[in-house]
Order: sequence, then C-alpha cells, then structure tokens
Amino acid sequence: MEFVTSMAGSYPRPDWFKLHLKKQEGSQKGVAGLIDDRYVKALKQVLDEQDKAQIQLKTDGQLLWHNMLCHLCYKIEGFAPGGLIRFYDNNMYYQKPRVESELKRKNSIILSEYLKARESGHDIKPVLSCYTLTKLSSNSFYSSDDDFLQALASVLNQEARDLADAGARVIQVDEPALLSADKEGLEIAKKAFEVLVKDVDASFVLSTYYADASKAFAELLEFPVQGIGLDFVEGKDINLKLIKEHGLDLDLQAGVVDARTTRMEDPANVSKLVSEITKAVDSDRLYVCPNMGLEYLPYVKAAQKLSVLSDSIRGGVLR
Amino acid sequence: MKNKLLPTTVVGSHPKPKWLNHLIVEFEQGNLDKGVMESAFNDSVRAVVKVQELAGLDIFWDGEMRREEMTSYFAENIDGFTVYGPVRVWGNNYYKKPAITGELRYRDEFSLSDYRFLSSLTDRGIKVPLTGPYTIVDWSFNEHYNTKEDAVYALAEVINEELKALVAAGADFIQIDDPAISTHVDELEVAKKSVEIATKGVKAYIGLHICYGDYSKLYPQVLDFPVDQLDFELANKNFEDIKIFREHDFTKDIGFGCVDVHTKRVESVAEIKENITKSFEMVEPKQVYVDPDCGVKLLSPQKAFEKLKNMCDAAEELREEL
Ligand SMILES: [Zn+2]
Repeated sequence: MEFVTSMAGSYPRPDWFKLHLKKQEGSQKGVAGLIDDRYVKALKQVLDEQDKAQIQLKTDGQLLWHNMLCHLCYKIEGFAPGGLIRFYDNNMYYQKPRVESELKRKNSIILSEYLKARESGHDIKPVLSCYTLTKLSSNSFYSSDDDFLQALASVLNQEARDLADAGARVIQVDEPALLSADKEGLEIAKKAFEVLVKDVDASFVLSTYYADASKAFAELLEFPVQGIGLDFVEGKDINLKLIKEHGLDLDLQAGVVDARTTRMEDPANVSKLVSEITKAVDSDRLYVCPNMGLEYLPYVKAAQKLSVLSDSIRGGVLR
Repeated sequence: MKNKLLPTTVVGSHPKPKWLNHLIVEFEQGNLDKGVMESAFNDSVRAVVKVQELAGLDIFWDGEMRREEMTSYFAENIDGFTVYGPVRVWGNNYYKKPAITGELRYRDEFSLSDYRFLSSLTDRGIKVPLTGPYTIVDWSFNEHYNTKEDAVYALAEVINEELKALVAAGADFIQIDDPAISTHVDELEVAKKSVEIATKGVKAYIGLHICYGDYSKLYPQVLDFPVDQLDFELANKNFEDIKIFREHDFTKDIGFGCVDVHTKRVESVAEIKENITKSFEMVEPKQVYVDPDCGVKLLSPQKAFEKLKNMCDAAEELREEL
C-alpha cells in the first residue's frame, strides 16, 4: 500500500477569515484578498487540518479564490468580469469572465500563494484550469475557441514553469468541462495541453469531476499529462469499468469521498472502493482524495471528510 | 379571491431598514434581549405595510423582515434539520446551508404568527409566501433520507400542515417559492408531487413562483402543477419568454413579473404599462396579477418604493383604460 492521500483543491475558509476578507474587500472594492498575516494564519489553519487528517499531498485550500475561475482570470490581462452565473448544478455562482483583449500574463497568477504555502515545508499541489475556464467564459476577442484556448494555455504555461521552479512537483489542472466536450473540443484541448505542459519540470494531473468520463476517456489517455483525476463518487460504476477495461498507464487521482454532502461515508465502504481501484491501477501510481474541492462543505465538516478518507485507508481492508 | 382587474402584489421580500440590520447583528452577538428584537421586527413590518400602502398595492406581504434567507429560516423551525455553518454562494457571500439529519417533523408554526400580525395591521389582501419543499431540500444537505425524493415528500407533509393552519387562521392566498425547480428540470415530476402533497386539502388560492432559469424547459409541463397561478420573472429577460408561453394555452392565472429587480433603474409608469400590456399577448386581462420579477430586498428602500409605486400607478391607469 504505497498510494498517496491528497486534496482535490479548495478548503472552506475558516469562519473568522470569511469575515476578515469581507471587511477587507468591502473597504477596497475590487481588490482581491491580500497575502498578509491574517492570510498566513488561515493558511496555517487549513494546512494543519490536512496534516491532522494525514493528507500527504496538500493544497493551500485556494483560500483567496472567490471561485474556480475568476481568481485565475482576473490576474490575467484581457479578462473582465461579467454577470453572475450558476457554477454547474451547484447553488454557487461565479462572475462569468469575458475576454476583451489579448491575454497576457503581466504578473504571476497563483505563484505568490504557492510560495507562501511552501514556506510551511509541506508538499503542496497548485491548481490551475484551462479548457474549462474557456468554456465557462465568453469570448468576443479571439476569432475561434481554438485561438482563445491556445492563448490561455500559453499564459498558463509561463505560470506553470514558475510553479515548477518554485518546487511544485505535481500541478493539477481542473477540467470538469472536458467530460462533456465533443470530439473537436477534446482535440483542441489536447493541443492546448501540449502548450500548457511544454518545458515544465513537474507532472500534470488532469482532474475531472461531477460525472463519469465515458465520453472522453479514450481521448484523455492521449493527453500529454502524467495523471488523470476521476470522480469515483458521482461517476463511480462507469469510471471503475473504464479503468478496468482500458487499463491505465497513468497516475490516477481517485476521488473516493463525496465533497458535496455532509453525510459521512462508512470508511469500510471507501476502503472497499479503493481496493477495487487498485485492481486496475498500481497503488504506487494512485492518489486518493475527495472527488473535488471541499468548499461545498461547512468548515467543520471538511476536516471530518478528510478523516473519513484517512480512516478508510488506515483501518480498512487494505491493511 | 380577485375583486378587481390587474391586482398588484409583491413576490415577498422587501429591503430591511438599516437600523434593523444593526439590531440583528447586536442580537446575534447577545447584546439585545429577545423582547427588544421582537418589537424591532414588528416595527419594521409596520414600516413595510406603510410603504406598501403608499405605493398602492392591493395584496401585501410583510417584506420577510424575520427571514434572513429562503432556506435556513424554515429549516431552523422544522425538526430534523441541523445547520453546521455557512457555505459559499459566491465571492464573499455565504448562506447557512442546512443539513437534514433526522426525520423531518412539524415542530411549531413558522409563518402563522407573521400572517396574524400582518392581518392585524391591514385590511388589504395578503399573500403568504413560503419556500417550497423541493427548493428547501435542493438547497440542503441530505444525511438522513435514502433519496432526495423521500426528503422532499417528507418536507412537503410538514409544509402541508403549516398551510392548513394558515388557512384556518384566514389566509386565502399562498405562494410557494420554488426557484430550484428551473435548475433541475429533470426532476419536474418530483417537484410537482411535492406541491401536490404540500397543498392537499389547502382551501386557498395557490401561486407558484419560479424565477431564474430557462422556462422553455419546464413549460408547458408546469401547467399540470396543482396551483391557480404561476408567477414568473419576465422583465429581467425582456419579456422574450412570452413566445414560449404562447405556444400552449396558458391555463392558469399569471403573476406577471413586469419590473426588473436586478437593476437600480426605476422604470417609468409608461414603460411598466407597456410591459403589463405584453401579458395580454398570452392571457386574458382577468388572468393577470401584476408584480415585480422577484422579491425587492436587494434594492435600496427608496428604489424599491419607487418601483412599486410606478408599478401600481401603471396598473391603475391600465385598469381605467380597459
Ligand atoms: Zn424569485
């Protein structure tokens, strides 16, 4: 049993930090949260929670992100915020980003947060998003989806290089939208990934969730990444079938507990699921994690979810 | 229930007075006793009633001064719910997302005293809006029931009990707010059955308010819901949805959202008149109730008043012309 326990992305903000951000941003409209001593305290708190739950590959919890998209977009020149729109089938909304001019990386995007998290000495995985970000934005500048995607990939490539130089050994790219992409979408996304990973000294995990990967699995295996993330909660049966039938010569980030409900899984069942997965994937190529970021949960429930994950591995049938 | 053409009403919420928001914070921090808080709520309802009188509305509600949100208010008053803490809606905005942790059971009234208090303040018509069981469950975690349907139907029974109590106390117009319906059109049957259960044996005029979403995906099926009125937002989408509704005979009354609550711009009387007139492309004037797209709570008190006033003036002028 050599697999790694990991986080999938976001962690709910501690309640006191929510109030702090609200105050800070209320008084300086449009200013994203700052990396100050309050932030460092909140970061330490969520890293400690992950540590307590024996999560090995951690994230910074994306504590300054207002949602999955805007935090990346608004640091890239060329994007502007649009109207509020529902994020998938969640009761959660984001400001639909709009491309208004050529995309440029004027400053780093998440690098300073990554560097701050690294100071803790923990192994930290940064999270980006590429194809999905373009699918959920509106574009009136680039003449085609392909051009838009290539431009974004090239901006993110510069960021990824810096992240790798700063010590990131795994970079996660969230791509739920690829699960419903058509052939052409998968094709241009693959091209974009070639740009995204170019000369980056880190391994990439393409992470999917909200559904099974039946419509995209064969194509995803051809992407220039070292790992893929599959949702074994919302797409459990089909994703199990896919990895058993196709085999998987990649790292697998397996989402095995449900990040969208406060109902706690029985660790024995999670443990069974993980051993099912290890029938198809070498356990030393396996990362087990929640099926997506934990920000859908109230703060107190996030740590409990992670404990279910680690309990299922410690006390489960795998031992 | 209607005794005049084009009756004007609200969807439910009204902006809270600034002083009330201050007092709520003080109360939550334990700096205010319950009696003072209660009298503040009552005074704010009196103020809302006055505003609705001045605007000229025909059918009132209390502006939901006591409700912070559409979900947790009900959850906190029904057995079986637990609230663990806030969950993000967007940016720095959170809501107390409840979790169903046990059998859902009626505990005590959760709108009856609001209704009684309001009816002591006015002789106008009253509409009691309640969030529908489908939406409350959709916006909650479910730890207890095996399926979402089971939870929805159990909650519908609880709400049915409250609706019967309201009718016994004299309420004759109930509105079920179900914005989540348009976000999961694949579960339309579940939502419909929940409304059936919730309204069973309830002898009142029933409206169903659905905002957001693509109406083409739930129309005409939504005509089969056991309600008297469908209340839709139309202004926000430039009345384009009338096309959808015209495709089938609109067999219910319509609550015709003719004022946009998402813009601060106050529509003129002439503009709103023209908006209301658009409803006649899909129904007879006698089927039309005039209201804003949704609750007006996110507007400033002044803008909310101006919009309601112009809406009522527009309806009045049209009434004279018809
Ligand atoms: Zn509404």
